[in-house]
Amino acid sequence: MMRIVAPSPQALRLGMSPGMRVADARAQLPDLAIFDIDRTADAALLERIADGCDRYTPMVAIDGTDGLILDISGCAHLFSGETGLCADLTRRLKRLGMHVQIALANTPDAAHAQARHGKGEIGAMPVEALELPPEETTALRRAGFKRIEHLTARPSAPLSARFGESATDRLARVAGGRDIRITPRRPEAALIVERSFAEPVTHVVAMLAAIEQLAGNVVQQMEDAQRGGRRFEAQLFRTDGLVRSLRIETSLPTRDVPLLMRLINERIETLNDPIDPGFGFDLVRLLVPLLEPLDPLQLPLEGGAVAQDEIARLIDRLSTRLGRNRVRRFAPQDSHIPEQAMLVFSAIDPRPIEAWPAPEPGEPPLRPIHLFDPPQRIEVLASVPDGPPRHFRWRRTLHEVARAEGPERIGSLWWRRADNKGMTRDYYRVEDRNGHRFWLFRRGIYGREAANPVWYLHGLFA
Amino acid sequence: MSDFVEMVAATNYSFLRGASHPSEMVKAAILAGLKGIGIADRNTVAGVVRAWDALRQMRAKLPELDFRLATGARLVFADGTPDIVAYPQDRHGWGQLTKLLTLGNRRALKGDCILRLKDLLAHLDGLLLIVMPTLDFLKEGEEGARPQTNDSRNDQLTVEAQPPPRLRLVDAKRFTAQTQALERLRETLISLKDHAPDRVWLGASMAYSGRDGRRLARLATLATQMRTPLLATNDALYATPDQRPLHDVVTCVREGTSLAEAGTRLAANAERHVKHGEEMARIFADHPQAVEEGARLIAQIKFDLEQLRYEYPHEPVPPGWTPHRWLIHLVIRGARERYGATFSRAHINLIRHELALVRKAKYAYYFLTVHDVVRFARGEGILCQGRGSAANSIICYVLGVTSVDPVKHKLLFSRFISENRNEPPDIDVDFEHERREEVMQYIYRRYGRHRASIAATVIHYRPRSAVRDVGKVLGLSEDITARVGSTVWGSFSKRMDDRRFQEAGLDLNNPDIARLGLLVGQLLEFPRHLSQHVGGFVLTEGRLDEMVPIHNAAMDARTFIEWDKDDIDALGLMKVDVLALGMLTCIRKAFTLIETHIGTSYELHSVPEEQEDVYAMLCKGDSIGVFQVESRAQINMLPRLRPANLYDLAVQVAIVRPGPIQGGMVHPYLRRRAEQRRPDAKPITYPGPPGELDDVLGKTLGVPLFQEQAMKLAIVAANFTDARANELRRAMATFRNVGTMPEFESEMIEGMVARGYPREFAERCFAQIKGFGSYGFPESHAQSFALLVYVSSYLKCRYPAVFACALLNSQPMGFYAPAQIVGDARDHGVEVRAVDINASGWENSLEAVGDGFALRIGFRQVHGFRQEWANALVVTREAEGRFTSVEALARRANLPRRALRILANADALRSIGLDRRQALWEARRTPDGELPLFAHAKACELGVEPEVALPAMPASEHVAADYQTTRLSLKGHPMQFLRDRLHGEGVLRCKDVAQGRNGRRVRVAGVVLVRQRPGEGNAIFITLEDESGIVNVLLWARLFEMQRREAMAARLMEVEGEIQKSPEGVVHLMASRIIDRTDLLHFLSEDHQPPLDGPDAELMDQVHSPRDHFIGGQHPRNVRILPKSRDFH
Repeated sequence: MMRIVAPSPQALRLGMSPGMRVADARAQLPDLAIFDIDRTADAALLERIADGCDRYTPMVAIDGTDGLILDISGCAHLFSGETGLCADLTRRLKRLGMHVQIALANTPDAAHAQARHGKGEIGAMPVEALELPPEETTALRRAGFKRIEHLTARPSAPLSARFGESATDRLARVAGGRDIRITPRRPEAALIVERSFAEPVTHVVAMLAAIEQLAGNVVQQMEDAQRGGRRFEAQLFRTDGLVRSLRIETSLPTRDVPLLMRLINERIETLNDPIDPGFGFDLVRLLVPLLEPLDPLQLPLEGGAVAQDEIARLIDRLSTRLGRNRVRRFAPQDSHIPEQAMLVFSAIDPRPIEAWPAPEPGEPPLRPIHLFDPPQRIEVLASVPDGPPRHFRWRRTLHEVARAEGPERIGSLWWRRADNKGMTRDYYRVEDRNGHRFWLFRRGIYGREAANPVWYLHGLFA
Repeated sequence: MSDFVEMVAATNYSFLRGASHPSEMVKAAILAGLKGIGIADRNTVAGVVRAWDALRQMRAKLPELDFRLATGARLVFADGTPDIVAYPQDRHGWGQLTKLLTLGNRRALKGDCILRLKDLLAHLDGLLLIVMPTLDFLKEGEEGARPQTNDSRNDQLTVEAQPPPRLRLVDAKRFTAQTQALERLRETLISLKDHAPDRVWLGASMAYSGRDGRRLARLATLATQMRTPLLATNDALYATPDQRPLHDVVTCVREGTSLAEAGTRLAANAERHVKHGEEMARIFADHPQAVEEGARLIAQIKFDLEQLRYEYPHEPVPPGWTPHRWLIHLVIRGARERYGATFSRAHINLIRHELALVRKAKYAYYFLTVHDVVRFARGEGILCQGRGSAANSIICYVLGVTSVDPVKHKLLFSRFISENRNEPPDIDVDFEHERREEVMQYIYRRYGRHRASIAATVIHYRPRSAVRDVGKVLGLSEDITARVGSTVWGSFSKRMDDRRFQEAGLDLNNPDIARLGLLVGQLLEFPRHLSQHVGGFVLTEGRLDEMVPIHNAAMDARTFIEWDKDDIDALGLMKVDVLALGMLTCIRKAFTLIETHIGTSYELHSVPEEQEDVYAMLCKGDSIGVFQVESRAQINMLPRLRPANLYDLAVQVAIVRPGPIQGGMVHPYLRRRAEQRRPDAKPITYPGPPGELDDVLGKTLGVPLFQEQAMKLAIVAANFTDARANELRRAMATFRNVGTMPEFESEMIEGMVARGYPREFAERCFAQIKGFGSYGFPESHAQSFALLVYVSSYLKCRYPAVFACALLNSQPMGFYAPAQIVGDARDHGVEVRAVDINASGWENSLEAVGDGFALRIGFRQVHGFRQEWANALVVTREAEGRFTSVEALARRANLPRRALRILANADALRSIGLDRRQALWEARRTPDGELPLFAHAKACELGVEPEVALPAMPASEHVAADYQTTRLSLKGHPMQFLRDRLHGEGVLRCKDVAQGRNGRRVRVAGVVLVRQRPGEGNAIFITLEDESGIVNVLLWARLFEMQRREAMAARLMEVEGEIQKSPEGVVHLMASRIIDRTDLLHFLSEDHQPPLDGPDAELMDQVHSPRDHFIGGQHPRNVRILPKSRDFH
């Protein structure tokens, strides 16, 4: 049974609510547009927003499936105070099409409750804000405790005797100021340097220059500490809240700026979707999450850090030299139709390739090594209805068939055709008197599909 | 030229593999000029009866047909053995085959079958075998061969641990898959030849795979080496190449994929259809003998399903009697009891006539077996009554199976058994729904599980499921398929009209949508899987598993056979429907209560007949809780029809149904009735030969209302034979025969005209008959039901408290929720007392007040409370006296904390001075179990704690909580707390509407009890309730569509409309505007956020007409006015 998880504001106004059965909802609103919930994508989006919030504070935690908690202690002054920070965050998120509820409070739990159960006085909030199990919440209400203040006004011993320690604990955390620190989602990097721009930067080249400058900065710091970095991450903060991050890794610790820049450049080039500056980047940050000891005198290292695989490296090099679409490879496709049984694509596309079906030992191959695209029309003499070809004329040469095997009958993909039909093909493997082997087919079954089937040459065996 | 017989053909009973109905396969074979066909589905014989029946029907039309049908199964093994198609040579062989399949079925989960070659070798007798060279065998554990995990099964059937089969090849790698398969084939052939030298064939088919020639040559070599004849077959999966799309669709459904992604999992071509002999001869030109082999095989088959007939159990006949003599003996004895002094010539004649037919058709055992079951039920005090066409038979009446006298009511025997009808009579018996299990257990005891079993129900594709599956296969979004699916009102509709697509706003010119429409149309009625029938028992004299394979049911330790009702009918096997009827439970409980508390004892037939006050009550439309006539439509009809005797009740039951309504029979009947009631009424005259139709239509004032009347009309007025009339009935009953209706139309109209009836009258008669569709009621059935209507009305009229109590104790049943049943009882002056720990038991009960009775609500009404808790509580209370505190209750009755909380929530502790809130406060601090030290001292273990002042719970919140916990409140109605507010807005009470004048425009509000869209769906009926009563709102479909959201979503609805009052005093509010006032429910208490949790959806049950559809799929009985709060799980 399908249920509604997240109605849009309009749907909410029309009475749709989370938990409602989809069938009921459709009975009310037949035109209701329904989409499957994609929790992975939601979580990914939340992660991305959390990335964006790193601009305010490193202490960002994911809160459930739909919330973020930011510990902004000591950060707010950078954004002209708490209200300024809230306004900035709201503006950025709204630009992404989000509906935002922001609450500021002294403890994470209080902020969580206020963002979800109404701002203002904690005491005036409903007991649901405690987020106890539904049974407990109903019991509280049945006992006449409908708002937080009804609970805070009473001695806590009878309460915990009836609703357990967890209820009093929740109460203390939401309304009593008990502070449980959040666990930030990412450990702080060993080294962080950043640079913000007064005007958003829209050129990638300028960005790279900025990164290079930051890299110099970092290298200086690492040198002082006699360390080298093994991993580096450049984060580009876009004005609209998106964050692009470029991660590179070296097999040995390094603090060689040109090498870093080369790797970053390579990384940018190998990105599937190019960096789109949009309205510009307003902040660049370079992080070094992993430091290892490094002798200051060690020479810069050469060689790629990314490609481990020789073939991959070869493909990279050839593709760079000859053009992306000039180096290709085949992948098997699961289809009866011969020309659709394989797919050609750029070799550099990072896509997993299934193994080709192994040929049956001792059996001649079913498919030729060369396929004509399109198949070539030929003239054939064959007996009806489905006899093998006797001789055929191809490229003005008459080939006498010495041996033939078949037919292999392959139906059309009827569901791609308006009439749900299409022509069936009868394939024959034939050998002419000179020992050449061909792959021919008759298009249309005699009598059933075509009065006078036409023949094609589709391929050549070696 | 060649006498080719296709010996390997599957049907769509090879679920999701075959793509043609069994009858289509047979037809295709006949059309292709074959001399025969062998039907063999994957590990099942579920489809063979249909093929056999189709052939039988064709034979009836083409007596010259030279065609043979072999019925068997394709054995698909789980141990790597290639498929083997097995055909029984004789009756013994059939038994071997069914036993073998039973063995495989019983090892596996429901629907699966695990077979090994060893099993076949143990059941080889009388089987002809075709070994099919396949690699596509099952692997144990995958779907189709999932082992039954429960080891407590029948010992002899448990799976013996067996190592996987080992190939004799030393190094498998050196051999190709093909050689391996060939080797495997050789081994199988060797072991089969050892055991059954002359009964093995090697099947060869040409798959157009591109290397058929070499493959065939290899097989031929093998065949020669093994001295096994090669048999040419096409291994058919469907009738014609046109079924390829459908076959691809079912393949995708099976594989759980879509056409776009299925790739080579689909068949490469459309060649596996039934091919004619010339084509086979051409394809197998190198092996002409192989093409002839099928004919040689089928010639050795002496078995026909016909041989399974009449294997009825012999138990009910005492030694020394022939079954027929014994039946006569019982009938005479029964007739004396039933008729006594009134036993007349007419009775004797009818009995003679029926007995003669029974003797001729050899049905004596059948009647005796049903009699035996009924006799057992009577002996145990279980109420039962035959329903359906059995009530046409005087034998059934005198044997006590049915309760309606067919002589008195001139019922038509040929509706029950007819000479020319090739199927056994159908006796369905209703039993009390709570005690049916006892009857079923008796049948198992008496006949043994090896001879009695439940029949199967074939689950077919219905529009909704077909749209869903085909849509998925075509890669359409769930959204689109849901839109098409949602236009089908109810899941009962059998056709997928183009209209449905238009309704969903989809264009059939779009190729994808057209494809969906086309394929859904083809897939409809395809069997999807087998399931267990609700109560159809099959009984045999011999072992059942030698007749038909037996399956494990989903329910533990239950089994069912793999043939359904139609198959059993076609074969003439004996079936008894042991059905459950809630009203019988209610009546029996009422009888028991009356006997205990009042001392009068009743039985179904001893309830005083034709009491005027009972009918007077019904004529007022006062029928809540009464069998059948309690729905809104029935209640509206009662004051119009004004029933005055049992026959009127039968009419009442039958007339408010889609058949008569669509046939336009309701108004003519009511008009005639009103005319006849006038003092100067003229007798009705019928056209045609004088006096001829009086008998047929007289009882229903000239309007045909029952199936029997249609048949009689055809017999009397149009000269139909009994058998032909029966065909007409079948045509009326099944949509599939829609095509044959025009044939009957001309036959009947011309027949009537020829006999002197005006053409216009004949046409009108036929139009009415056509209107029955599948929803016409047989008169005998209506009569049987009418008796229950009367008995329940009698109880309601004379013993309202008893009736309400019995009704509540029989829940779930009927149309109404407990709140309405209790409300109705209170309206009839019954005092109802709330559930309480010091007074209630599990069941609702009666408490003496003065010379009457009060109804005490029992714990069963409290949601979530368990019977064992209630029993513990009552036992302690009776032994040790009243409870005085929550703690004492917990300790003495040893109730867990959850039980206490539920009781407190239900406000059941008032007798110890605690209201709901206080009780909950107390209950929540009572710990689970008790500390041994305190227990020893019998001391109070809870200390004193600081007083916590709890605010008092307002009355409105109490009522709301009552509804949440028990779905009824004796403290008030939710609406009364909103009354001031609504009154201020000028909204009337329901009662005011009922008393308002015709044509007045009013506004009224109430909680929604029922939303219903009957029949064609032109109007929507909504019933609103408030503290003063109910009002029936009628909303035209056009207005409904405009205000759909409000109409569907509102729990509390305000309706603006016009009062419409019929002359009989039936009031409707014709709605013009609907306003959703659900928000008002917040004011009962801030507690409730009504829209949160919807009621549990449950499909309506079969007591209502299948066309009536409760919108949203909820039975009114399950509708919650207030959603249940979340503290109950």
